[in-house]
Amino acid sequence: MSVSELKERHAVATETVNNLRDRLQQRRLQLLDTDVAKYSAAQGRSPVKFGATDLVCCRTLQGHTGKVYSLDWTPERNRIVSASQDGRLIVWNALTSQKTHAIKLPCAWVMTCAFSPNGQTVACGGLDSVCSIFSLSSTADKDGTVPVSRMLSGHRGYVSCCQYVPNEDARLITSSGDQTCVLWDVTTGLKTSVFGGEFQSGHTADVISVSISGSNPNWFISGSCDTTTRLWDTRAASRAVRTFHGHEGDVNTVKFFPDGNRFGTGSDDGTCRLYDIRTGHQLQVYQPHGDGENVPVTSIAFSASGRLLFAGYANNNACYVWDTLLGEIVLDLGELQDSHKNRISCLGMSADGSALCTGSWDSNLKIWAFGGHRRVI
Amino acid sequence: MASTSCSVKVAGETGLALAKSSLPPPRPKSPPPYPDLYGKRREAARVQMLEREIGFLEAKIKFVEGLQPSSRCCKEVSDFVVANSDPMIPAQRKSRRHCRFWKWLCFPCLSVASFCCCCRSECSCHLRKPKCCNSTCCSCVGSKCFNGSCCSNSCCCPKPSCPKCLSCPSCSCFRGCCCSCPDLCCCIPTCFRSCSRPSCLNKKSSCCSCNCNCKIKWSSCFKCPKLRLCCCFCNCKNTCSNPCCLAF
Repeated sequence: MSVSELKERHAVATETVNNLRDRLQQRRLQLLDTDVAKYSAAQGRSPVKFGATDLVCCRTLQGHTGKVYSLDWTPERNRIVSASQDGRLIVWNALTSQKTHAIKLPCAWVMTCAFSPNGQTVACGGLDSVCSIFSLSSTADKDGTVPVSRMLSGHRGYVSCCQYVPNEDARLITSSGDQTCVLWDVTTGLKTSVFGGEFQSGHTADVISVSISGSNPNWFISGSCDTTTRLWDTRAASRAVRTFHGHEGDVNTVKFFPDGNRFGTGSDDGTCRLYDIRTGHQLQVYQPHGDGENVPVTSIAFSASGRLLFAGYANNNACYVWDTLLGEIVLDLGELQDSHKNRISCLGMSADGSALCTGSWDSNLKIWAFGGHRRVI
Repeated sequence: MASTSCSVKVAGETGLALAKSSLPPPRPKSPPPYPDLYGKRREAARVQMLEREIGFLEAKIKFVEGLQPSSRCCKEVSDFVVANSDPMIPAQRKSRRHCRFWKWLCFPCLSVASFCCCCRSECSCHLRKPKCCNSTCCSCVGSKCFNGSCCSNSCCCPKPSCPKCLSCPSCSCFRGCCCSCPDLCCCIPTCFRSCSRPSCLNKKSSCCSCNCNCKIKWSSCFKCPKLRLCCCFCNCKNTCSNPCCLAF
């Protein structure tokens, strides 16, 4: 076949692809007969109402000397690991506010950290393109330097996010500025699978965040600067299971909904969205009202039932609490007593859902819990 | 004999003359035109990818045809949320327990449930009771108290500063509270080192984005996350050097 014939085939194929995409989009729009807020309002759901002292800051964890970029809870025993611009990982006892470990990192430009399911190791990654694993049972020298027990090397861009596979201390997923996600075998330090990249269909820009399903650890979602979120099956890395469109800016944060069949996203376009995994439907858009510029969403977390969506924004210290069913803001943690003094960069809910931890550019972490009076009849 | 030598001679002379006249002058040829196999293969690969994409899209359309509408998913969400308890949500429950039931959970404050510690004065945990301001707490004109106690701080939003906006009208307050800069305000980001001057690409937002063409060859050492300002400088000797501190 000659080059000119190939070019003709290319033009025909491009037109066919565009027509099919239009048909797909039209069909999807026809299936969006309502959203969660309209449905819940029609069902007569009562709004969530917070009193002035219902959600309070119970603890302030002070110790970092730079912006806090990432945090993660242990699945049990209420410890938190945080990563900061000061080049340290700190492990906290969330109940007593004490620091149990302060690890000085070989590369100060850390962006993400994660606790292993057994709580015995922590992982971190950043601009050095490496995910480093530290054992908390290793002895630190007087400088706080703990030897790296494993280095997961192979990304060709910064490591933006990392998370251990639930209940598996030897498997971890990272996302990267090289447009890929990687599943690692921590024991050997080798890649098990690469999701996306040059020869595979995947994200077309930096991948910023990942979230692994708690109910089906073979599934994880990734959010990217290409404005899409993709669902992956770790058993089939060649292509994403589903791609979710809708956002108009970088998808900075993704989190599974507690039921495991939905997930939330936060984006530079200022909105959070709720999607259904199985159908691909966009179920709800959470957009703050106002005439101002859309403020990027930096991080999100769901409460235990999924009724509340906590979202940190890139302006001041705003952290809106959304009623996910009615699509309304019910509280702003930034307006409460003892709120952060700067942008909230990361959020995390404890395993039992009783506390939310926020990390901020003011170098502190804060723990928020229900401090109100439960009226009993 | 003489003829032979003569013929030889003649032959020799004749051969030389013949040599001179029979061989054409050297004319170097152009190299043969090789087929552009690389371009053809690249085009074929593109067509192959598109045809594969067509297959995937047709499969997706078939999948979507059998999907339930979003209302069914919304019902599932709603049912799940209502069916599950949530420690972060104020709830009214029918119970025979006295309200003082929660006190023991507050003390000692070393249990998980101490996160649920209340802020009432009878609680013996070490949480501070949040201050409730009086009706004159807010300094903004027209602000009001709600819930009978604390004021909202949102009425006292500082004006955002637009230090690099050019030719922008002054920021104005709306709704008596928070201010914003008009959409037409174009904020020019600073280009770092030898990056070329940025251009306004995204007219939707207030500020222009930076399109940086880095000339320095080692600017590809590593990519800066969430690049908003041009960061072209890179020190490859130290892989942990961060030229992106303006945005990171």
